[in-house]
Amino acid sequence: MTLLALYLLALLDGLLCGLRASMGRCAVIGKRGYYRRAAFQGVAGAQLITTLALVALLLVAATSSDRADVRADLEGAARRMLWVFVPYATLVLANLALRLVPSNDIRSATSVFMLGPLTAIRPLVMIAGVLYGIFPSRLLETRLLGMFVLLLMLSLEYALNRRADRRQEREIRRLI
Amino acid sequence: MFRSWNPSQPEITDLIVEHDPRTLERVKVRKQDVLDTFSRFSNRTAMRAVEQLPEREGFLDEKELDRHLLKVHWEMQRLAEEFYHGHRVWELLRVVIASIREAGVRETIRIVDVGCGIGYVIRWMAANIPLDKYRIELAGMDLNSTLINEANRLAGAEELPCRFLQGDAFSNGHSGHIFTSTGVIHHFRGPGLPQFLGRHEQPETQAFLHFDFQPWLLAPVGAWLFHYLRMRTAVARHDGVLSAARAHDGRTLREAAREALPEFASGIYGAKIWNTPAPRVFHTLVGLRRPLVEEFRRQLGRRRSRLGELR
Repeated sequence: MTLLALYLLALLDGLLCGLRASMGRCAVIGKRGYYRRAAFQGVAGAQLITTLALVALLLVAATSSDRADVRADLEGAARRMLWVFVPYATLVLANLALRLVPSNDIRSATSVFMLGPLTAIRPLVMIAGVLYGIFPSRLLETRLLGMFVLLLMLSLEYALNRRADRRQEREIRRLI
Repeated sequence: MFRSWNPSQPEITDLIVEHDPRTLERVKVRKQDVLDTFSRFSNRTAMRAVEQLPEREGFLDEKELDRHLLKVHWEMQRLAEEFYHGHRVWELLRVVIASIREAGVRETIRIVDVGCGIGYVIRWMAANIPLDKYRIELAGMDLNSTLINEANRLAGAEELPCRFLQGDAFSNGHSGHIFTSTGVIHHFRGPGLPQFLGRHEQPETQAFLHFDFQPWLLAPVGAWLFHYLRMRTAVARHDGVLSAARAHDGRTLREAAREALPEFASGIYGAKIWNTPAPRVFHTLVGLRRPLVEEFRRQLGRRRSRLGELR
């Protein structure tokens, strides 16, 4: 259950990373299809990362002499991570939900005061969450796995941005 | 960083693209001249951004610059989208249109967006407002041909009923019943501001709405954080923050409009949030022909409290 929750949070993060990477790179007015594709690419990126993480986890479990111990340690770390990631995700989703209120003031305020700063602290939240999760762990495998997943998650937005940037460059060169 | 917030200096985009005001032909810009300008203000942030721009034999490479400008303007549109700027403009514009209709104007109302860039506001309205129902015509004007071409391309791609023209929005044959702009008015400074506003005095012009950042103590800090997070190009980051620092306060705008346009009642709309001391990110310089004022107030309804003194 704990791992499933982390998996879903990773997909949500991927979705939002995909959207962010695509924003400001397409100037038509109707962008539903464009954003749908961007969100899908973000989710696909997150899926790739979680698959890699799962493979690493299975490798750790397969090579361990005491699987039950590894599993308990990993679950403990994952549970602690949720204490950081769930409030952050809740805050992000609550502010996105607030943007449904048909008020320019409320929508602008969510951008300026919440969504902007929340985007800024995303890498810090990732680092804090993973460190809080793995720091009390007993096993080196858990710590290494946590750091591996952290590295992958931090590189996701960078990779999506690079990809979107190249696509945008090509499009602009086609226009001018 | 703080030197890039000095409001007495121009923005990078003011300097890197120049047009002959008469022929509208592009004028070559020497990169060193731009660097020298910012050097005088010790603005290293701007100098770094300009240094990155490609040059050819000492002049800024026009083709590369145009590509860069498109990138910057696409990014700027993202901010407008995030702040629901299309909604903001239409919310006020529809009230002005209703007031003009009540005054007996039956012809198609022509709305001209001055310095429209890639025409986000006009295209947003063309995509979201039933123009036939309101009997309005939408046009955007800008001196920059690259931006106008892009605005027309984007409008064409979505088959939007609006058009964009390169040129002076106040010149003969282009005049509108309502002039609007976003983030343009702070580019006119000193005597240039009443001069710009004075050009609204045209026979068919009934009203104008100029949206711009509202200056206050924390605006440059907020703009810096926001542009750092949301913009990707150094030019957009620099100019976005400097725009917030250069924005005119309500009093300057009001007084300039009243001095330049005695036939119009002018005031500021939307300065404070919900009648609290908290300032809105944008405020609007509103100007109306005097006979429209009472109807405009009535049409505003519950939003009337957002309107400052209109005289």
